[in-house]
Amino acid sequence: MVEEKKPAASKDDVLNPKTAAEKLTKKKAKDEQDELSEEDQQLVSELEMIVERLKEPSVELHRSALENLANIIRTTASSMTSVPKPLKYLKAHYEVLACLYDQWQDNQNKMALASILSLLGMAYDKDSKRDCLKYRLLAGLANGSISEWGHEYVRHLAMEIGLEYRTMVEQEQETEYLSEVALNAVSFFFEHNAEVDAVDLLEELNRHELVIEYVTKETFERVCLYMISCSPLLPPPTDMGYLSTARAIYRKFGKPSQCLPLSIRLGRPDLIREDWESCGTRLEKAQLAFIMARQQVHMPELIEDDDEELLACMNNADLSKHYLNLARQLELLEPKAPEDIYKSHLENTNVDMTIDSARHNLASTFVNAFVNAGYGTDKLMTTSSDGSEWIYKNKDLGMLSASASLGMIMLWDADVGLNQIDKYQHISDNSIKAGAILAIGMLTSSVHDETDSAKALLSEYITDEDSPAIVKLAAISGIGIAYAGTNREDILDLLLPVIGDTGITIDLSSIAALSAGMVCIGSGNGDVSTVILQAMMERMDSELNHKYARFMALGLSLLYLGTQDTFDTIQETLKAVTHPIGKQASTLMQVCAYAGTGNVLEVQKMLHICAEHLGEKEDQLPQAFAVIGVGLISMGEGIGSEMSLRTFDHLMHYGEPFVRRAVPLAIALVCASNPLVGVLDTLNKFSHDNDKAVASSAIFGMGVVGAGTNNARLAQLLRQLAAYYHKDADLLFIVRIAQGLLHMGKGAMTINPYHHDRSLLSHTALAGLLIPIVAMTNAEKLIMTDSHFLLYYLVRAMYPRFLITFDEELETINASVRVGQAVDAVGQVGRPKTITGFQSHETPVLLAHSERAQLATDKYIPLTNVLEGFVILKKNPDYVENEEESL
Amino acid sequence: MVKVQVKWQGKKYEVDVDTTQPGEEFKIQLYSLTGVAPDRQKVLIKGGQVKDDTDMAKLGLKENQILMMMGTVGELPKPPSQPVKFVEDMSENEVAQALQIPAGLTNLGNTCYMNASLQCLKAVPQLRDALNRSVGQNTAGQSDVRKNMITSLGRLFTQLNESGDGVPPFVFLQLLRQVFPKFGEQDPQAGGFRQQDAEEFWNEMLTSLDQVLKVDESDKSVVGQYMSGRMATTWKTDEAPTEEPVVHHEKFRKVDCHIDKSVNYVSQGIAKGLEQVIEKNSETLGRNADYKATSRIERLPEYLTVVYNRFFWKASESIDAKIVKSVKFPLDLDMNEFCTSELQSKMKPARNYLRALDDKKAHERKLEKRAAQDDVSETKDENSETTEAQTSSSANQELPAFNLDESLKADVGCNPSGIYELIGVVTHIGRTANSGHYMAWVRKEKGVGGTDPAGKGIPDTQHWWYKFDDDQVSMVTDDEILRLCGGGDWHTAYVTLYRAKKLE
Repeated sequence: MVEEKKPAASKDDVLNPKTAAEKLTKKKAKDEQDELSEEDQQLVSELEMIVERLKEPSVELHRSALENLANIIRTTASSMTSVPKPLKYLKAHYEVLACLYDQWQDNQNKMALASILSLLGMAYDKDSKRDCLKYRLLAGLANGSISEWGHEYVRHLAMEIGLEYRTMVEQEQETEYLSEVALNAVSFFFEHNAEVDAVDLLEELNRHELVIEYVTKETFERVCLYMISCSPLLPPPTDMGYLSTARAIYRKFGKPSQCLPLSIRLGRPDLIREDWESCGTRLEKAQLAFIMARQQVHMPELIEDDDEELLACMNNADLSKHYLNLARQLELLEPKAPEDIYKSHLENTNVDMTIDSARHNLASTFVNAFVNAGYGTDKLMTTSSDGSEWIYKNKDLGMLSASASLGMIMLWDADVGLNQIDKYQHISDNSIKAGAILAIGMLTSSVHDETDSAKALLSEYITDEDSPAIVKLAAISGIGIAYAGTNREDILDLLLPVIGDTGITIDLSSIAALSAGMVCIGSGNGDVSTVILQAMMERMDSELNHKYARFMALGLSLLYLGTQDTFDTIQETLKAVTHPIGKQASTLMQVCAYAGTGNVLEVQKMLHICAEHLGEKEDQLPQAFAVIGVGLISMGEGIGSEMSLRTFDHLMHYGEPFVRRAVPLAIALVCASNPLVGVLDTLNKFSHDNDKAVASSAIFGMGVVGAGTNNARLAQLLRQLAAYYHKDADLLFIVRIAQGLLHMGKGAMTINPYHHDRSLLSHTALAGLLIPIVAMTNAEKLIMTDSHFLLYYLVRAMYPRFLITFDEELETINASVRVGQAVDAVGQVGRPKTITGFQSHETPVLLAHSERAQLATDKYIPLTNVLEGFVILKKNPDYVENEEESL
Repeated sequence: MVKVQVKWQGKKYEVDVDTTQPGEEFKIQLYSLTGVAPDRQKVLIKGGQVKDDTDMAKLGLKENQILMMMGTVGELPKPPSQPVKFVEDMSENEVAQALQIPAGLTNLGNTCYMNASLQCLKAVPQLRDALNRSVGQNTAGQSDVRKNMITSLGRLFTQLNESGDGVPPFVFLQLLRQVFPKFGEQDPQAGGFRQQDAEEFWNEMLTSLDQVLKVDESDKSVVGQYMSGRMATTWKTDEAPTEEPVVHHEKFRKVDCHIDKSVNYVSQGIAKGLEQVIEKNSETLGRNADYKATSRIERLPEYLTVVYNRFFWKASESIDAKIVKSVKFPLDLDMNEFCTSELQSKMKPARNYLRALDDKKAHERKLEKRAAQDDVSETKDENSETTEAQTSSSANQELPAFNLDESLKADVGCNPSGIYELIGVVTHIGRTANSGHYMAWVRKEKGVGGTDPAGKGIPDTQHWWYKFDDDQVSMVTDDEILRLCGGGDWHTAYVTLYRAKKLE
């Protein structure tokens, strides 16, 4: 009101300079003793009168006076920004009223006064005595009196409750007396759209599980969203507690498809079973099966009555079919030759050979494999009348990679693929045979077929004493790829003897350890770790210096992927390993255990390792692993990964050579299949580094960052690099690989291990990404020479980035969806938009990293809230076709 | 009997299994269904394989259980009869042979001036042929060192053609230094032989070749016929306008390109080179006068050498200092403006013909391009049809028939059109003629030598070039050649060799 008057006054001032001058002097005089309008003056005297009345001993008048006071406070409307007038003028009387309270006898009036004091205490509390809370407790909570003073008051009260609770806990005192007022505040929050405050308050009191009782049909979505997105920022075990509370809420409201991802994150098969059983309909189960198949949680025992259709969903059996279907609709079926990717007519190089270069052909083999992955046809291996022609255009182990590329091309299609590969199994050349064997392993990754073909075919090569080393190696790594994450005992029975056998060369043992690590990924399987540790101790130092030994360490670490702090005993044992591999394994294990947690303390530990200045003789590999670890730990969580990117900048500037070489790899890990412009620029800069190893990891990193995106800008950068390095066969090879990765699956794939709206981390996918990256730490000896087949481990990380919709008969249908950039709607009021800058498409549709889809019409109801991968749509019974729209 | 389903190549076969029989029997059943020989079958069942001796009863087969069979009918893929040879396995020599890149010459201690010039001269087939013949003649025990030198050059060229690796020109160098002792000059400070001026070598070589090499059995010199022209120089002085201009006729083996501030293109430089002012005694005036000598070409040889006067004697430092200024040279050079008017009119028909030929080729390319586009989009409106009708009519235009002037026809080894194309460049990098490094760049003729480097389809109108860096030979394109025009510390054209454009 006052504010409104002021402009009017100033208007007068302008009109009449004389009075203006007069007023100005008056104003100055008035400023001294507070400027009060007539209205305010009246209010002040009214308040004074009430206080006077309260001071009087006659108790009868108190009641009406208090009511009057409360009324004045409540009704004096005020703008949002200023302090309510009555509160302002009551400041002078706060002490008096407090004294009065102490004097009064215990009765109704006293409680009413306490209530008013509680409000005043919010403003005039001196020395943080938490007066607001104190008087609130004294005033009691009858009849929802907490809501008496409005929202701001309750928020303040909640804050004081939190403070009080903390102090009391510190002093080890009883805190129960707080719970009633707290719960009152919580229910107030819930009634007033402030779920976030409610959750925070309960968290302060360490009772977040109580929230379950308060959530309603309207509020639970928001509460869960908030709790889930808080969880990565909380210290364990509260983070898991939040997840299980959120899951309990979803359960309460019958949302098994939302429970399931949480159960998976909690890593509790029993909860997964619970979710499965809570499904009301078979369709819901099918949806769960789809989600489990994507995450590679294979629990066929859940399926009752031999329901083959459900089993097929869980086995991912139709992945190939749907992928090809998508390709057909998007017109991607036409196979692409490596030259279509290189577009070397756009490169500015002059010299190229007409004679076959083994290096060049090998690069083409990989590019061809990555680009045509899963499509079943290509221009080198399958379409030409005799695919073997191309195989023989590769040299030595290049032939292995060439025949293995069939596994990539025929990916997920066991029926047709196995027969394509079969003929190469019978060839006398061991490299080709080994390639075919590896191809079998790759082919069946991510899908489960009933005949268990990978084991049926590969096991005999592993157990057969006479099979040549290279064939054995391929069989071991193939079986690791095929059965990653399955925890199968029978597979371990094949692998463990190989790990422990000191009579064979260390490369076989190392790959076997790696495969075992993949099979039991994140399980912390004690048997496996014992065997690997045993092998590390028994092997000679000279053997442990082998370039493959690092995979033994990696295998051991994969066992503890994401397990956080359960590996202490192993760490202790590793200290007993005198060879540097002990240190390597211990660093790797630490980073793997905290992979994707965003744990800041662990990141700092790793940075300490990076900062050490090692002597010439010391093993520098742990530093490289620590750098990768920084990326590994902080990946998947927005703020953390952004911070890590900044940290990498520093490492690149000031780090030792070994650290610098690993930085681009770590960046790649953080941004897999997510070509952010800034990241591309950084990597492009590193790709011209004087240190060839830095350049090669940067170029590989560019491939990983752009994998499966067809990003035009990156394609241009890589073409420039191809021209720049056209004389350097090694780096050109890596550039070609990166080009292949960029166009992986003709742009319909992703290798980012996060899925389901970036909430679920697929362990097997992470392993698939991590293995080539670890191999790149010694690119010169591994990827660039004879161990290029390690790149095929990427197959575990590869997955189509599609959205395919099914109707109630599990037949694909086209539904119109909107696809746009995901918006973080956590903690926002109302029903905020979850995507922005969207375009409308018909399913099937491709989703880029950090994109989200939502149905464009109400015609269908999806059975899961995350539209990604396979989604079942139910007809909306309330949907009325809008005729105008359909026209 | 249990009925099972066997999947093979995406198809399902129903098979009745007699569980009393061993696996072999079952495989034979499958053989009859699929045609895959039993020993090539792999029958997969629940993580295991059915072997010949497997007891089918123990497998616990269930009704309609799915089995998977792997196996291929027919031949297994065979390795190629000839193992593929990879560039990584080859020596440099083999690579060059596979690519049919001509061999380079080994540097025998500051002999790059010689190597570069020889590689360039080798691009003249008439010289090569004549040298070949000279090798054939038995010249053993000849006393003429010069002749010996030329014969050894012939041998050297033969060697180059046969080898893939760098060839060391020992014998030739030895004889060269006998004939021209200055090329055997030693550097007192650094030791070893000195770098020499490539142009000087070029001149000396042409002179020697001129003396020794004859066309056929006749007495005509090869160099004289194919590489030298004739020039008419008119001497005139403004100081004595009445004095009759004196005309000299002289042979030339090179055209100079003078370089000064105003010269940006080679034709400007040549024009400057053809006009000079010289002070000489005037008979009519009886004193020295400034005479202006204007040269015009009377005969153009098939192979024209253009030399860039990039070096001038810097007395202060007693070196041949280099002018680095950029002088652009074209891939196609027209010498018409420097000819006498008589020759110009003689050359006219050939010139017209060449011009028409060029137009026609350009036109065909355009049509091809359009045809390619039309294949992509078949939308044609009437407009384009009419234009097409027009263009096709012009394309059908016959090339103008032309009658070569009789005198030019009779003159073997001349250029009847005055239009040249670049086939060789000797470049120099460095600051003085007697230091730095010389290289040769020679055009690769279409359809001659090895296949063009694959894939990078350069347009039909462009050529590949061999870059001879002593014994290192690689291939580059036109763009790289045009970059040799100077203007910086890069390889800079010093001697360019042009060839008459073919009339066919």
